[in-house]
Amino acid sequence: MSVFIKYSKPGSLGAVFNVQVLWRFNSTTAESIRKEEDEEFRVLDILKKKDRQQKKQIRRADIQPDRADRMATDQNWGNVWPGPKTFHPSSVPLPIRQGYVPKGQAPPGKKANAELMKIPNFLHLTPPVIKTQCEAIKKYCTEWPKLLNSEETIEKHYPLEIISSDYCHASPTIRNPLARVVNLRIKLSSLNLDKRARDKFLRLIGDRYDEKTDLVTFIADRCPMRKQNLDYVNYLLTACYHESWSVEDWESEKTEEDMEYYDWNNNASKRSLVNWFLKCNNEEKELTDEEYKNFDISKIPNAEGYKNAVNSLMNDGECDATLKTYGSSVRKLLGLPEKKVT
Amino acid sequence: MFTRNFRNICRRYSQSVTFRTTETSPVQQNDNQVGLFYTIEKDVCKKLFGHGGLPKSYMKQTKTFTETTLMIRQPALDVIDCIKASDLNKPAIRYVLYGETGTGKSLTLAHLIHYAHDAGFLIVHVPWVSEWLRRVPRHKEMSNSQTREGFVDLPLDAAAWLLHFKTQNQTLLKCGDLKISKDYVWSKREQTSAGAPLAELVEQGISRVKYACDVIDALVYEIKLLSNNKQCKTFVAVDGYNCFFYPMTRLNTPTKKKVKPEEVTLTTTFMELTKNDWTNGVIVLSVDQIAVPEDHQESYLPKYLLYKKGFEHLDPFVPVEVGRYSEKEFLSCASYYRDRLWLRGPEDLETELKLASACNPYKFMELCAPL
Repeated sequence: MSVFIKYSKPGSLGAVFNVQVLWRFNSTTAESIRKEEDEEFRVLDILKKKDRQQKKQIRRADIQPDRADRMATDQNWGNVWPGPKTFHPSSVPLPIRQGYVPKGQAPPGKKANAELMKIPNFLHLTPPVIKTQCEAIKKYCTEWPKLLNSEETIEKHYPLEIISSDYCHASPTIRNPLARVVNLRIKLSSLNLDKRARDKFLRLIGDRYDEKTDLVTFIADRCPMRKQNLDYVNYLLTACYHESWSVEDWESEKTEEDMEYYDWNNNASKRSLVNWFLKCNNEEKELTDEEYKNFDISKIPNAEGYKNAVNSLMNDGECDATLKTYGSSVRKLLGLPEKKVT
Repeated sequence: MFTRNFRNICRRYSQSVTFRTTETSPVQQNDNQVGLFYTIEKDVCKKLFGHGGLPKSYMKQTKTFTETTLMIRQPALDVIDCIKASDLNKPAIRYVLYGETGTGKSLTLAHLIHYAHDAGFLIVHVPWVSEWLRRVPRHKEMSNSQTREGFVDLPLDAAAWLLHFKTQNQTLLKCGDLKISKDYVWSKREQTSAGAPLAELVEQGISRVKYACDVIDALVYEIKLLSNNKQCKTFVAVDGYNCFFYPMTRLNTPTKKKVKPEEVTLTTTFMELTKNDWTNGVIVLSVDQIAVPEDHQESYLPKYLLYKKGFEHLDPFVPVEVGRYSEKEFLSCASYYRDRLWLRGPEDLETELKLASACNPYKFMELCAPL
């Protein structure tokens, strides 16, 4: 900032601006400014970034090449990795990567990778190793029975299947609660049951029967140990089997409503057909239930097809196809023209 | 005036698709006329469907179009063929119409009733069973049956139905050949004696509403007897028949007890009528999803709708499916709507409507309404 000071003498005619003094308010002098220009501008480096970068660059020059790089391609892997152990990057000559994948980057490599060390590995169980081990224990095995040469014969002689799972994992305990679960499977046809007993057996086991595969499956997981569960499923099968063979008093009270499938001979459909037939021939007869049941339908033309159609409609459920066959068989029975297909 | 008429004529004759047939009697119709519309004469229509029988939405449309036209469709022709081919001296054959909602079961039934009328059948037609069992207006007349213990009468509905029966069969009833077989004593002073014409029995029911249900019962008995004796042939048509088999009705007795359908006298009467223990009769029933409440509308197939009980009651019956429009039927219907100016717009509108309605007749009608 500059200030002009007016200097004037009293008595003179006009103001004369002949003196000008430049006044600097700054405390610095011209000399000190020059000094600053010579020195470098010092930056306050709180985070010490410069030093850190330099530290990173320091490397050991005498590092050994990785063991994995020096391995021969035809080495015996079983000797390198003989038993189960935690992953070690230098022993495994594979470009394995595992872990969180940052966007646009590859997953972390195998070195210093905790993820790879966490998971259990099966590097000791390569196929050639398993093969040699099997060869080694072969001498302790008995021969496979020759007559059990196909699935069918095995199924015939050993109808019972027990399925349970073993779990292998790296954790402080080797026990897994799921290992206690035991499945028992058996084909229903392999059980010695008659018609009534089969129906009772199916009603006892409820939804444990699969119609498509004809398999009965019992699953037990209520006991803490596998052995106990195994005993339990065996008990279940035995109990259901023997219970289904025993006949209770109240079973004689089974009505048509309780039937497991639709038997045309016992049903109202046959009764109405027989009535209709008698009516057509102008025979008025009162038949008893037994007579209805034993009525010979071969006398009635086209009755066989009608019977099958009603059976399939009732047993297979109502759909377009069953209804169509029902319709056409009724038309045949009643002597009506077939439906025209447009 | 002239130009307008001329334009109308031009419009009528420019259409390449024929959609009308002059064959107004269903007795003469054959397969060549499938998909074509025929007009029911006004007085016949009033006679047959004056007291119900046509769906409400269709009635509205007939009023708009100033004519009652029905499309001749395969299911109806099929049933007519069967009726012609069957031996009436054998026990009555039951036909069950089924199909999705809105495909025209009721209209097929109407077509068949028209056929029955032309072929000289005595028509016993129940327009809509749910009207009796499920529709409860504020003043639903109900009373306990006098003649049968534990049963419920619907006297007003019964009388209305008798009126419907009377108008539908006025020509047959007028000639007076149909006589009743035994004495019916209604009360101390009222009785209908044997040998009286059937019309008198019907009149009795209409004038003395109290006895209407019993009159229907007697009427059904007499009709079966007359048919058995070959004095008349009878055509029974019941729309929404499956309503009889739904476990509950919406009726309540004055003591707030729920009424089951089998406790209604009309139900037992019509159950009796739909048995096949009589001859000289044709029974056409329709099963409908909308006749029962929504919890039993999963399928439109007859066994599902009739329950096992109803199936066994009707077995053996002839199931007749009423399907959606075929290609030809759809085009014919579209050109009919165009003719009635119900549908306007560019030609490719049809393709769009066809997709949108999925060829369902009722949906098609609905979609065309705002166009």
